[in-house]
Amino acid sequence: MTSTHGTPAANGRWSREADVVVIGAGLAGLTAARELVAAGKSVAVLEARDRVGGRLLNHDLGDGRVTEIGGQFVGPTQNHILALAKEVGVATYQAAVPGERVYVHDGRARRFSGHTPPDLFALPDMGIALARIEQAAGKVPPAAPWQAPNARDLDGMTYETWLRKAEITGDAVDLINIFLNSAYGGEARDASALFSLWYVSTFGDETHPGTMERGTGTSGGAQDSRFVGGSQLVAIRMAEELDGRVHLSAPVRRISQDAGGVTVISDAGDWRADQVIVAVPPLLASRIVWDPLLPPQQDQLFQRLPFGTLMKCVAVYDTPFWRAEGLSGMGLLRGGSPIREMFDNSPPDGGPGVLMGFLGGKEWRKWAHRPAGERRGAVLRSFAQVVGERAFDTVDYVEQDWTAEQWTQGGPTSVAAPGVLTEYGEWMGRRFGRVHWAGSEFSPYWNGFMDGAVRSGEHAATELLHQS
Amino acid sequence: MTEFQVTERAVIDAPVERVWEVVSRTDRYAEWVAGAIEVTDHHGIATVGRTYAERNRTLGPLRTDSVWTVVEIDPLRRRVDTGVGFAPLKDVTSIFEFQPVRSADGREATQMTYQVEYVIDLGPLGLALDWIQQPAMRANMRTSMANLSTLIRSETINARD
Repeated sequence: MTSTHGTPAANGRWSREADVVVIGAGLAGLTAARELVAAGKSVAVLEARDRVGGRLLNHDLGDGRVTEIGGQFVGPTQNHILALAKEVGVATYQAAVPGERVYVHDGRARRFSGHTPPDLFALPDMGIALARIEQAAGKVPPAAPWQAPNARDLDGMTYETWLRKAEITGDAVDLINIFLNSAYGGEARDASALFSLWYVSTFGDETHPGTMERGTGTSGGAQDSRFVGGSQLVAIRMAEELDGRVHLSAPVRRISQDAGGVTVISDAGDWRADQVIVAVPPLLASRIVWDPLLPPQQDQLFQRLPFGTLMKCVAVYDTPFWRAEGLSGMGLLRGGSPIREMFDNSPPDGGPGVLMGFLGGKEWRKWAHRPAGERRGAVLRSFAQVVGERAFDTVDYVEQDWTAEQWTQGGPTSVAAPGVLTEYGEWMGRRFGRVHWAGSEFSPYWNGFMDGAVRSGEHAATELLHQS
Repeated sequence: MTEFQVTERAVIDAPVERVWEVVSRTDRYAEWVAGAIEVTDHHGIATVGRTYAERNRTLGPLRTDSVWTVVEIDPLRRRVDTGVGFAPLKDVTSIFEFQPVRSADGREATQMTYQVEYVIDLGPLGLALDWIQQPAMRANMRTSMANLSTLIRSETINARD
């Protein structure tokens, strides 16, 4: 079968058929669909939203320019997303902007060059912390973290507890939390130590072990580059290639398996397929009605992989005025600031100017329910600490709260609390009859990143093709 | 027992109604009062007889927990609160007074007078202590009013936004 076709089902609902139904038109689902179509399969992609891209979302700045309010950065060893982008004709450009960065601690702003914030009290401990993380993460197998030498011990405590056990001070933990604030939409106390060390071990590929430096770095790290036209363009181009196989506004409510195949019930009709790839966030997958039920261990795992809490806050200006003052627009903020990390998010031609900050974890909990005007003011005050009072002279201001997205419900990725990986981790991507799993959370490399999504889509397609 | 009174003034670049609106929010003091790390309990819009609580910086790394009671409200003009938790400072009273003025370019602005009254019970030692703490207190009061001005500016939507 190489194309989909439809027939009226016995229950009167229109039922269409395909070799494979892919659920979710984010990077993982679209990549899987693309691979399967290339292998000659008939494929239907069902997407709940009225757009493709999942956690990738462009914001239109006018005049053909965009900035991203979802996932956006790529870097070295993320070769799967980089290769895919090249294939669909989406170029990259260096994300870093020349100029000094700003470190704000307790309201005092200090400019600095390079990657090391000017904090003599925190840095020695930070150095020790990074060395310990590096060493411990190196012992965690990316494909099976529950098999790490001391997995149960590490999974029995939070990451913060593990850090503090090594007499790493609150200052160093706070600096690590700056990274986790955007990476987890949370803090070190939200995640298990094993999960966090595994997460670091995924910052690489089959020949480059994961390192904190690569995961947190800008130039040469995970924040090295951005896509011309915005990251969502990669998904849009794939959907265009799929030429009518992507069905929008089609949330899937029920998946039934029997001896002959799979029936997928969506708001846009029913589908009958030989096999299904589910490429939605794990928690949302657990909320689909399953017949038969998911294996209980897998269901429990998915329920225990919620996304963090994250909002992206974007202020738009006539020009990136901070560049003329020798600033890169990048800031690290400590001491109660709602924004902990911010970047120059201007389009590649440098105008208009865009500043983007992450509001995540406990700062999200503090500010998400506040009146929009007060939150906007607090975000702009954070920006002003880094680039000066012209930060108040916006021409536009946009927030994307990923917890408010029905088909994501948080961001940017799943974070596992203590006990999850060792008790349920082996059920992560285990095939369930005719159902295969894809999504960035299922990848042993760049878990939670675009590269992980593409890898997982490729893996699910390969697994399915080998099975058929 | 020695009584002290410290007063600072500043012009806030916003109409008195807007300044009053922000100052009346007992949940927002950590956003503009220098030294207020967090508001740990509050009752929303300030009401006479009700309390709110803060965690505050004092000297250097020292922290304290304070509780304030709203004792007087004269809308748009005057607000008086009394606070405990600042030992050895006792009988602490904070007074905000507001007066509408015009900025140099003719816009509505507000002159704010920020006064703190307190007692230190330690005789000559109290005088010495105040000699140490009062400059920091004055600086915090000036910073608070500058923060208030910045907060209001940051929440002003530009015509182009």
